[in-house]
Amino acid sequence: MALTPDDGRLELLQGTLDMLILRTLQWGPRHGHGIGQAIRAQSDELLRVETGSLYPALHRLVKRGWLKAEWGISEANQRARYYRLTATGKAQLARERDRWSQLVRAIGLVLNPEPGKE
Amino acid sequence: MKPPDWDELDDEIRGHLALSIRERIERGEAPEAARLAALKEFGNVDLTRDSIRGVWRPRWLDAAEALVRDIRFAFRSLLRAKGLTATVVVTLALGIGANAAIFSVVRSVLLRPLVNRDADRLIYIRQTALGIGTENLTFSMPEVRDLTSRATTIASFGDFSTVNFTMVGVGPEPRVVTAGVVNGSFFEVMGLRPAVGRLLHAGDDGSRAAPVAVLTHRFWTSTFGGDPAVVGRPLRLGPGTATVVGVLEPSIPYPAETQIIANVVTSPHHLGATMVDDRTHRMTELFGRLAPGATVEAARAELDSLHASMTSAHPKAYSQRAQVRLHVATLPEQIASPARTILLLLLAAAAVVFVIACSNVANLILGRSVRREGELALRAALGAGPGALRRTLLAESLLLCGAGAALGLVLAQPLVAMAGRYAARFSVRALEATVDASVLWVGVGLAAVAAVLLAYVPRLPSPDRPGGLGLAAGSARMTPGTSRRLRIFATTQIACSFVLLAGAFMLVSVLTALQTARTGYEMRKVLAIDVPPPDPNSGDRMHAYFEEATRRIGALPGVENVAVGMIVPWRDHNPGLKFRFAFEGYQPADGEEDPTCRFRPVSPRFFATLGVPLLAGREFTDQDRADTERVAIVSQSVARRVFSNGEALGRHVGWTSRGLKGAHRIVGVVADVDDENVVQEPTLTVYYPLRQMGLASRLFVRAEGDPYALVPSVTRTLREMSAEQAVERPRTLEDVRAQVLTPERLNAFVFSAFGGIALLIAVVGVAGVLAFSVSTRTREFGIRLAIGSTPAQLLTGILKEGVVIVTAGITAGAVLGLALARVASASLGTARMPGLLPAVGAATVLAAAAVIASLVPAARASRVDVLQALRSE
Repeated sequence: MALTPDDGRLELLQGTLDMLILRTLQWGPRHGHGIGQAIRAQSDELLRVETGSLYPALHRLVKRGWLKAEWGISEANQRARYYRLTATGKAQLARERDRWSQLVRAIGLVLNPEPGKE
Repeated sequence: MKPPDWDELDDEIRGHLALSIRERIERGEAPEAARLAALKEFGNVDLTRDSIRGVWRPRWLDAAEALVRDIRFAFRSLLRAKGLTATVVVTLALGIGANAAIFSVVRSVLLRPLVNRDADRLIYIRQTALGIGTENLTFSMPEVRDLTSRATTIASFGDFSTVNFTMVGVGPEPRVVTAGVVNGSFFEVMGLRPAVGRLLHAGDDGSRAAPVAVLTHRFWTSTFGGDPAVVGRPLRLGPGTATVVGVLEPSIPYPAETQIIANVVTSPHHLGATMVDDRTHRMTELFGRLAPGATVEAARAELDSLHASMTSAHPKAYSQRAQVRLHVATLPEQIASPARTILLLLLAAAAVVFVIACSNVANLILGRSVRREGELALRAALGAGPGALRRTLLAESLLLCGAGAALGLVLAQPLVAMAGRYAARFSVRALEATVDASVLWVGVGLAAVAAVLLAYVPRLPSPDRPGGLGLAAGSARMTPGTSRRLRIFATTQIACSFVLLAGAFMLVSVLTALQTARTGYEMRKVLAIDVPPPDPNSGDRMHAYFEEATRRIGALPGVENVAVGMIVPWRDHNPGLKFRFAFEGYQPADGEEDPTCRFRPVSPRFFATLGVPLLAGREFTDQDRADTERVAIVSQSVARRVFSNGEALGRHVGWTSRGLKGAHRIVGVVADVDDENVVQEPTLTVYYPLRQMGLASRLFVRAEGDPYALVPSVTRTLREMSAEQAVERPRTLEDVRAQVLTPERLNAFVFSAFGGIALLIAVVGVAGVLAFSVSTRTREFGIRLAIGSTPAQLLTGILKEGVVIVTAGITAGAVLGLALARVASASLGTARMPGLLPAVGAATVLAAAAVIASLVPAARASRVDVLQALRSE
């Protein structure tokens, strides 16, 4: 998946890119470049998504019906493909969020056991 | 969800880069540096585009691509094993071709619908008299009237009988045509339509109608070139003339192949008293169309009861012994039934050939896979899963079987024509057999079955097996399992070949017995010719004609003798010519009846001409005339059976129906000759002089030299007497008999061909197994030679292996054959058990062939070079 093993940056966990893309699109359609920038900005520059991973992921999500793509004009005054979240995509985002928070909680419990339980 | 097209993809990527560059410029980078940085950040554009495409590619496309890759790989690797590939492809082609051909014939005979409208509601009615060995007695007109007048389950009846006419004026020479004579409802019952003009209808019935005829489609196209203007043309048929009113659509020529179909008034014979009133004058076949709502069963029941009341009303015409019964079948059943047995047998034989071919190919493939075990193990070690390996094998067998099927279908073309001609004598429908899509599907289906079977025959290398992955380079070691499988396949082949060979041997021995059987006739010198007399309804004119004809032909150079008769042995069938005879001084025992004898009117010098020995008394002479004493000649069996002391001369004989009033005095006894069965049986025959009773239309000429050299002069002589005289089918008796034996010869030939193919494949199979076994045991032989075995010991060892396979195969084959024969005789009823001799013959041939086949590898084993063998691994 998307990985940029530069210093100080984090490697994206398997399967999380889809969730991040869906989350990024929650507030409205964006084009591919915008999605990449948004993830980067919102993660404090810690996560940088490679275009070689981003675009196949976008197309995969379109194929699954979670996103819808349409052509528009970008701020560079050029044709760009805008991606929008569909209803099933929203439902999917909710599911993935739940799973993610469970995972985080579970891993957190293992790593930082509550005192007295060990 | 529609995948984006590729221009759009490029646009999207370009858009991304533009945004990226703009962003960098806004941050203060130089335009050129910004462009390079953006490209660098993006990474490999082509790779990204490819992986996007990968997202949209359907799954099956990946699988298909992999298969195509595998097939190309298989193609290359098969090219390196040309000998094996050729053997496999040819073997499969033979198996598939034979099956496709037989199947197409089976399809056209048994499965394809007839052109007749609602053929399933069309029934064929016949009388059987199994007591006197007659499957189809046909009907007389009084019988037809009895059955048809009261039936309620049959909407209407059609009757059909044949009569020969000499047709003049069509073509350069007078010719004999066979006409079907039918009633007006015949075509309506048969459900046939005209191609041109009209068919016959009720208005054509009766003796006052105008004589009209319909041409069959084949006759119309072959003789009139398919000219529609033929309608309205007069046809000269014998003494009369009929008008052509139409042409029948192409249809199955059933019950008989005829050139024309005419109404009753065309044939003087059909209007005569014998035809109309004689209950035993049977020559008519009967069809019926079921009434609406009636079933075949209901019709059968009703006709059976009508028949029973008819036979009890006329006991004289239906003797107890003859067991006259009625038989009702739908027309499709009736047409297909004689062919069913032989076609199913052929289908079985073809299937056996296919099994043999497959097991042989399986052996070859198995051997090959053992040789490439190293390669497969290497691929497994490099990460190819069992699926991928199996796919490799499947690709290879698909390729082999596909090629085999393609070649097989090419072979099927001539085979279908051959099989069609062969089966045509059992069912006219076989002539329609052609190679079509269904054959293609059979071929493809068989190939697919074979391919899948073959792909699953070899075992894949697996780390769990003892010995693990045999990665040792290029070494071929035979595991016990593989060796056992090879042997099982070879044994199967031998067993199947044995069954086919035994069958072929049986048919050949039947044929040989038939061909060498004595007939009692002089076969080579006697020419039989069909000479229909100009006016068959006038006895006097017929006699005068034949007297003159024999006088003139007898005077020709090269002619030794001439005679006239009614029947060409074996070629003409006239089951009606059997009567019960009363003999002077003979009283049948209680419960018995007078003997039924064949009745044959013959001319003077008949026996001398045909070479039938006269045992006592004299032949008929020119002095035996209508106004002289009535005389007769009987066959030896009559003399033996009827007269206790064998003294027949001087006794009187006459038809039982007329008693001994006006009986004929027996003046001669001749040796038995059987003119109906190709294998002679004791026959009771009574001969009368032609002059005193009967009709004749067959001329027998005994030649001094080559009989066929006389044909032109005989024809010329007859045409001199009457330019309109038909002279047809001159053949020596030997050739007549050979023609009659054609079915037997064909049976023997077809099964011998199957047996030969099977033998060939099986021998290749056994030799292959042993050769393979030898080639994988080179090292073992080297060691054995090194520690003191002699080459002869190795040789006998390998031969023994061959003998074991053959013995097991023949034993299995004998069991299989016995079982098949049991099943066949249970389901077909008429199958004969093969004698011991054919079985022994087949076993001998197979064993000898297999031993010879195993000699080659055995010799190679005994010639192994010790040092090389030990160094070989």
